[in-house]
Amino acid sequence: MNRIRLSARLAPNTFWVEVEAHEIAASARPGQFVMVIPDKKGERIPLNIAHWDKNKGTIEMVFMSLGVSTRKLAAFKAGDFLEGVAGPLGRPAEMANFGQVLLIGGCYGVAGLYPVVRGLKENGNQVIFLAEARSRTYLYWDDRIRKVTDKFITMFRADCFSSGKDLSDIILGLRQESPQLARVIVMGCSYLLFTVSEITRSTGLKTLVNLNPIMVDGTGMCGACRVTVHGKTHFACVDGPEFDGHGVDWKEYFSRRKAFFNQEELALANFESKASDLKE
Amino acid sequence: MGKIELLEPGLAERLSREREKSWRRKLRREISVQQRLLIPRQRMPEQPPAQRIRNFLEVNLGYSLETAKKEAQRCLDCGYPGCVAGCPVAIDIPTFIKYIEASELERALEKIRETNGLPAICGRVCPQEIQCEKNCNLVKARKEPVAVGHLERFVADYLCLRSELGTQPGCVDSGREKIAVIGSGPAGLTVAADLARLGYRVTVFEALHISGGVLAYGIPEFRLPREILSSEINFIKSLGVEIKTNFIVGKTASLSDLRELGYSAFFLGTGAGLPGFMNIPGENLLGVYSANEYLTRVNLMKALRYPDFDTPAPSGHKAAVIGGGNVAMDSVRTALRLGAREAVIYYRRSKAEMPARKEEIKHAEEEGIIFNFLRVPVRFLGDEHGRLKGMVLQRLTLGEPDASGRPRPVPVPGSEFEVEVDLAVVAIGQNPNPLLITKVDGLNLGRWGNVEVNPDTMSSSLPGIYAGGDAVRGGATVILAMGDGRRAGRAIDKFLKKC
Repeated sequence: MNRIRLSARLAPNTFWVEVEAHEIAASARPGQFVMVIPDKKGERIPLNIAHWDKNKGTIEMVFMSLGVSTRKLAAFKAGDFLEGVAGPLGRPAEMANFGQVLLIGGCYGVAGLYPVVRGLKENGNQVIFLAEARSRTYLYWDDRIRKVTDKFITMFRADCFSSGKDLSDIILGLRQESPQLARVIVMGCSYLLFTVSEITRSTGLKTLVNLNPIMVDGTGMCGACRVTVHGKTHFACVDGPEFDGHGVDWKEYFSRRKAFFNQEELALANFESKASDLKE
Repeated sequence: MGKIELLEPGLAERLSREREKSWRRKLRREISVQQRLLIPRQRMPEQPPAQRIRNFLEVNLGYSLETAKKEAQRCLDCGYPGCVAGCPVAIDIPTFIKYIEASELERALEKIRETNGLPAICGRVCPQEIQCEKNCNLVKARKEPVAVGHLERFVADYLCLRSELGTQPGCVDSGREKIAVIGSGPAGLTVAADLARLGYRVTVFEALHISGGVLAYGIPEFRLPREILSSEINFIKSLGVEIKTNFIVGKTASLSDLRELGYSAFFLGTGAGLPGFMNIPGENLLGVYSANEYLTRVNLMKALRYPDFDTPAPSGHKAAVIGGGNVAMDSVRTALRLGAREAVIYYRRSKAEMPARKEEIKHAEEEGIIFNFLRVPVRFLGDEHGRLKGMVLQRLTLGEPDASGRPRPVPVPGSEFEVEVDLAVVAIGQNPNPLLITKVDGLNLGRWGNVEVNPDTMSSSLPGIYAGGDAVRGGATVILAMGDGRRAGRAIDKFLKKC
C-alpha cells in the first residue's frame, strides 16, 4: 500500500499524483516507469515516473484519465492509499553528452520527459523542449521545464489552422537552425510518436520514441507488450520503453494497443454506471 | 528409483526407527497383508465434467475421513518404502499414512510438515505418478499404488482450513543473520520456511503484488483454490517469515543494496518468467498470447471475474493451445471455462510423450478438450485489423530420440494445412527470468540463461548466493523447486555457521 501525498488536476483530463514509495524514489532513473495497481480489483498499468525525491521518499506521476484504471486513480485524494506501486521498471533513457537534443512531449509525456531533460542537462547537453498540446489550456508544468531547458517551444494544435505551421515545419526548421542537433526523444500519445518518426525519417535524425503498449506484469514475464523494431520482437517493458522510431512496426503497434478495445469500453460503461449509482 | 540412503544422511535409520515403534507394529498386525491387498484404490470424488467446465471451482473434491482411512489401510507399511525414495523432499510417507490409519491426523500433518512446508499444494500439483506412487510396492503386486497425493491433500485440508494448526508460533531469533529470498514461489517459500524454523530472520522479496509466484499467477483455481494457497502462505508467515510484495530485486534494489542492508545470504528463486515464443510469422497478431500472459490475466489479475475485476480476459470461440505440458493443459481448460466453443491442444509429439501430469490429461479429456498430436503451427494468419483468424499447421512424424531421450518430431514436407482459430496460446515452455540473474556480476549462467549451481548444495558461482527452482531448471515442477529449496536451506545454514 502506498499513501498518496498529493492529487491534482493539471489540465482537462490530465492528473498529477505524488505517492510515497521510498525504495523506488531511491533507485529511479530518467525514462523509467512504475506499475500501478489502483485498488484490490484493479489492473496493473504502467505510468512514467515524472519526478522523485529521495529525501521525502516520494515519486510523482502524470497521466491522462481515459479508462477505468486511470479514472480510479484520478478520483483518489491526498491521504488515500494505492493498492500497490512497483518499480522502477524499464531501461533508463540513454545518458551521455550528445551535444544538442530535441525533446518532444505531448500529453503525459511532457511530465514523463522532465527527468530526462534534467539528466541530459547534467550530462552537459543543450536541450530544446517542444511541448505539444491541443491548446494553451492543456499545457502544464511549462515553468518547471522552462527552468531546466535552453529553449522551450510550444505547439498548440488549435493554432495550426491559423498559423499554417505544423509539427513538421517546426522540427525541420529546428533541424536547419541547429545542424548540431544529435537526436530527438519523443514521449506522448502513439500518434505523436509515429508522426515525429515519420517527419525525421528522411532526415536521418536519430529519433527515440517511448512506446507505451499494453502491459500486465511489467517485468518481462508475460510478453503482452511485444513490439517489432527493425524486424525483431522486443518486450517494451524490459528492452524499452525507448526504441528507434524509424524501426518500429507502427501498424502492429497501433493494432496491439487496441487489443482489448471492446472489453475496455464495456468495463468503462460498467464503472460509470456504478459511479452514478453511488452518486444517487 | 532413487536410493533412500543417498537422499539424506541418516534418513534410512530414521525411517526404520519410526517403523519399529510399538504403535506401528500393532497397527500392522491389525489387518493382514492379504486383506489390505483386497481394498481397491479409493477414487477421488470430482465435480462432474459438464458442471465444472462452467466454473473455476476445484475439480477434485477431496476424500472424506472414512475414505482416507480406507486408502491408508492399503499401505502395507513395507520395510523399504520406495515412495520416500521417489519424493524430492523425502517426506516420511509411511509414517504419515499410518497416522491417518490410526486417526492421528494432527501427528500426520506434523510429520509431513517436517519436510514439506506446502502439503496442501503438493497433494494437488505434484506428479505423484512419476514420484512416490511410481515407487509404491503395491505396483509390484500388480495393484494400483497407494494414493499418496490424495492422502497428503486430505491431511492438509482437514486440519489447516479448520483450526489453528494453520499457523505455528514463530521461532525467529532477532539476533540471527538476515537472509534474503528472491521470489515467493515454491522454491523461495520452502527455503524461507526451513530457515525461519532454524531461527534465521528471513525476508522474501516478491516482484508482483500477490505472493506465491507460479502458484498464484500460473496454476488455475480449478486445480489450486486460492484460499488453500493463502492458508499455506499464512502458515509460512506465522513462522516469522516476512514477505515484501511489489519489490523487484534488480530494479527496486540490487543484491548489493540488500547486502548493505545486512542480508548475509541470498536465495534466487526468480522462476521461469521468460515466455518462449515460436518465432513464426504472425505471432504478434491480436489473439496470440503467451501462456504466461493468458494465465496471469485470468489467475493473478482475476480476469475470470471481469468486469467486476478490471483486467479483461482474452476471449475466443476457437481456442488453440500449443504445447503438451501442465501449462498447456491449464491454458486449454481455462479457455474452455471462459466460453470457448472448441478448445484444442496441438502438440508436436504423441500422447505418450506429453509431459503433463496424468490426472490433468484425464481431466482435460473428460471435459471435451480436443487433442491433436504431431502438429505444429508454422504461421498465424490475421485479418485486415491484425486479429488472429487462423493458423497454418504442419504434420510431423516421430524420428530418432533427441537429447531429452524423447523421439524427435520430424516435419512432413508438403503437409501444411489451415485451421480456423481466433485465440492461440503459446505454451511451449519458459526460460529463467533474466531480470535479476543477468545483472549479478560473476554469477555463472548456463546455456538456457539458467543459474548454474552445485546440485547438492544449490550454491552458485558466488559465495553466499544460492539458487533453485525454475531459475535453475527452466520450466520444471513445484516439488522439484521445493526440493531445491530444502537443499539450499541446509547449505545456507552450514554456510552461515562456518562464518
